[in-house]
Amino acid sequence: MEFFLQNVINALQWGSFYALIALGYSMVYSILMLFNFTHGDIFMTGAYIGFGVATALLILTASLALPGWLLLIVTIIISMILTSFLGIIVERVGYRPLRDAPRASAAITGLMIGIILETGNLAVLGAQRLSFPALIETVTYDLGGVYFTNKKILIVGVSLLMMLMLHAFIRKSRWGMAMRAMSYDYQVVPLMGVSLNIIAPMTFAIGSALAAAAGILYGMAYPVLDPYMGILLGWKSFVAAILGGRGSILGAALAGFMLGFIEIFTAMIFPSTFRDLIAYSIILLILTFRPYGFFGQPYSTQLRL
Amino acid sequence: MSGRSFMITHAKSIYGSVPLIGWLVGMLLAVLTESFFGNTLAYALYLPKVPALFGLTIVLKQPSLFPATVFYVLLIYCLPIFAVAGLTATWANRFAAAMEKLPLWFSAIIHIGVLYLVLHLWTDLSDYRLQISKLTMIAVMLTLSINVINGYMGEFSCSHPGFMALGAYASSTFSLALFHQDRLFGTPLLPEFLGPYMFPMGLLLGGAAASLGAMVVAIPSFRTRGDYLAIISLAFMFIVKSVLENLEVVGGARGMGGQPHWATLPAVFIGMTVCIGVINNFVNSTMGKALNAVRDNEAAAEAMTVNTRRTKMTAFMFGAFWAGVAGGFYAHELRYINPSSFGIQMLAEILAMVYFGGLNSVVGSVVGALSIQMLSEALRPLELFKWIIIPLLLILVMIFRPTGLIAFREFNIRKTFGPKVLKKRI
Amino acid sequence: MALLQVDRMTHYFGGLQAVGSYSLRINPGEIHGLIGPNGAGKTTVFNLITGIHTPTEGGVFLEGRRLIGLRPHQIAALGLGRTFQNMLLWRHMTVLEHVKVAHYAQINYGLLSALLGSHRRYADEAFIEKNSLHLLDIFDVAHYADQLVANLPYGAQRRVEMARAMAIRPKILLLDEPTAGMTTEEMIQMIGIVRKIHEQFKVAILLIEHRLKFVMELCRFVQALVFGKVIAEGTPEEIRSNPKVIEAYLGSEDVS
Repeated sequence: MEFFLQNVINALQWGSFYALIALGYSMVYSILMLFNFTHGDIFMTGAYIGFGVATALLILTASLALPGWLLLIVTIIISMILTSFLGIIVERVGYRPLRDAPRASAAITGLMIGIILETGNLAVLGAQRLSFPALIETVTYDLGGVYFTNKKILIVGVSLLMMLMLHAFIRKSRWGMAMRAMSYDYQVVPLMGVSLNIIAPMTFAIGSALAAAAGILYGMAYPVLDPYMGILLGWKSFVAAILGGRGSILGAALAGFMLGFIEIFTAMIFPSTFRDLIAYSIILLILTFRPYGFFGQPYSTQLRL
Repeated sequence: MSGRSFMITHAKSIYGSVPLIGWLVGMLLAVLTESFFGNTLAYALYLPKVPALFGLTIVLKQPSLFPATVFYVLLIYCLPIFAVAGLTATWANRFAAAMEKLPLWFSAIIHIGVLYLVLHLWTDLSDYRLQISKLTMIAVMLTLSINVINGYMGEFSCSHPGFMALGAYASSTFSLALFHQDRLFGTPLLPEFLGPYMFPMGLLLGGAAASLGAMVVAIPSFRTRGDYLAIISLAFMFIVKSVLENLEVVGGARGMGGQPHWATLPAVFIGMTVCIGVINNFVNSTMGKALNAVRDNEAAAEAMTVNTRRTKMTAFMFGAFWAGVAGGFYAHELRYINPSSFGIQMLAEILAMVYFGGLNSVVGSVVGALSIQMLSEALRPLELFKWIIIPLLLILVMIFRPTGLIAFREFNIRKTFGPKVLKKRI
Repeated sequence: MALLQVDRMTHYFGGLQAVGSYSLRINPGEIHGLIGPNGAGKTTVFNLITGIHTPTEGGVFLEGRRLIGLRPHQIAALGLGRTFQNMLLWRHMTVLEHVKVAHYAQINYGLLSALLGSHRRYADEAFIEKNSLHLLDIFDVAHYADQLVANLPYGAQRRVEMARAMAIRPKILLLDEPTAGMTTEEMIQMIGIVRKIHEQFKVAILLIEHRLKFVMELCRFVQALVFGKVIAEGTPEEIRSNPKVIEAYLGSEDVS
């Protein structure tokens, strides 16, 4: 039982990364009907930006001895802002010129920008793995045999908070309303005074900011950064976004957590090398029986080739 | 008329009317020249050795050698090719016209024979050339086979590395278990001298294994298209990789090595030629055009009697078959494979080749595979930056020609081999 | 025996009845019309007959053969051709290729022949090409043969679609709003084309139309469909003067 609960906590933590990243995929999809294949690498870059910001903050404020949580909050906010600019650049360079092109071509540009980000990172920082500075002390709590750390709670808490904020933004704010309208029809809504050239970069920016938050949280849990970390988590989260149903924000978040659970619990029962095998087999099964994901609309899209 | 534009018109009037066979004979002479005088000339020009890839690799590595290399290339390649092509144009055209009256396979054999001879002589001079040529030909097969699915049928399939892995492992198992001593399977079951003759069987087996695997992706494609199918194919790729990693019989994550050296130049060349021929035959038939109809509008295709399920199944299994065969060649060329070589990296490379060259086009696939491979070799000295320049180039191609450089073009073999008559401008 | 017979066909989308107890008999060589306001379920009737949807109840028979349960391409190959309201042309294919692909069910060679290029394949392809050019000639689009359909004027696109539908050698042709988006002159041209098809190929025709003039010119027998149910059927004159039809088209009769 303790073992089980322990894994629930791990799965929640692991699932938060997937969910936060999947949200970015899903949001862009709901507006542009395209997946932003750079997103995994934006997550990676976000983690590195977070690393840079945190290190700089530690050095700059060394004499002030500020509390760790304050530094963490500042790091997260600054990195989210910086990474959102990256999202805007990706939209401007890779996606806007291809808005009317075949969907596959935009997918290729996205993938290629991702490769550039990875390689650029390697070229700038070299191959050595950086370790994320520990901003807050790890405290372990013992609750009747179930161990959890303050970091795990923080990670799950912060991601849930982000999701709630996103939800409120989309439901309540004027911009959120424009985004929702755009997701119904991005060709007609612009005629009503909402420019796609504002909404699309905004979506990319919000998605990237969430990815950056995920990157920093990931860096706190697994302090070793490497340029290819975006590939593993990115593709898995992409799959989660699909599982949730294209363009469904709630679906993406739920599917992200679900994927976390699937992975942690297969690793609990089977040897760890089976993790991918079983996770992807389950995904294949789910998609065979629910071909449009959990919350997706069963409309057929032709590839705009 | 100014002197320069006169030159251009003049050159056009000569070289616009050279048939393929003329260029091939020119190339033959060029490689013959190189094999006799290449070393001498390189020595005379203070080049360390004969430039391996037309000086492409030297440009960035040792820029000081660049002028000498250009001179070498002009003298050894350009001069004989253009001289022969220009001087023999009339005869070559007559010859091509005569061959046009004979069955197509006859002129095909002649052209392909000369092309092989050129390639053979050219690769004879360096092992590096040999390996690059073989890998390029394997890449051509891969690009063509993915074009059947992604271009002609318009599904975004990401499972190609998976198909390739199935083919590579199946054919490696075939040759290692039956004909070759190795650590995984021990003593071979059949005498080793039979091996090279049975290699085609192994490749077919690889292709068949990939085709069977393709059914996993093809059957869901009856119900779903686009993004979901892309995910299913992606999941398939990860599943194949993961299964192979866990399958200790074929070496698990450590991989499989020591395949016999059967992927010789003639073998790969024949494989590629057959692949191009068969795929081109297929996509130009009405049965193959049904793929395009399914891509452009499935409901209309179905209403016009096209069996869309059979068409999809055929496209996936056929595309996968050639990916499997290419995988077999790949395994026997590198003589070592492991599951992690068939992952996202491989996928990105294959996609880059097919989208660079052009969708729905046989020539595009050949051009795409060739240029990405060559570029990849030329940029090798830049190490990391290679993977910044190639993606940048691809992004530019996507922005300006979203379906690739030479997309939606039919490859008419008869016309390609036939005589060239320059269209007179009035 | 009727060429096409539909018996009390009913279809529900979710809980909503899209088509209710629809029946139809068409004999060889007849032209029937199906009229009705937008959303009346006309195209759904076509989709049910051609097998895109399977009716919840009822039967569809072509020359006495039950069509329910067959896949659309099988139904088409039995001799049921159709056009679409929004044409559904294949945007990356040439005009000639459109008509060639519609010969799919008439291909005699197997996959292996297609791959290796046997004699039968070349003979077949030659026949298909000849027949396709002939069809293009009939519909007066032969000069566009090597063009992409997207480059054609609208009327020519419509004719290409008709040629494509005729290439499957239909016994009965279902035309879904063939004059949608056409001017009056173009519509009059289209009347001529439909007549020509009818006479030259001896094919029965069932057409959906919005414009009464088109239906009146061509059809001997017309059904009016409202909310998935046939509210009136008979000769064009009867339909035109039927108060229910007038009401459905013009709203309440109080106006007059």
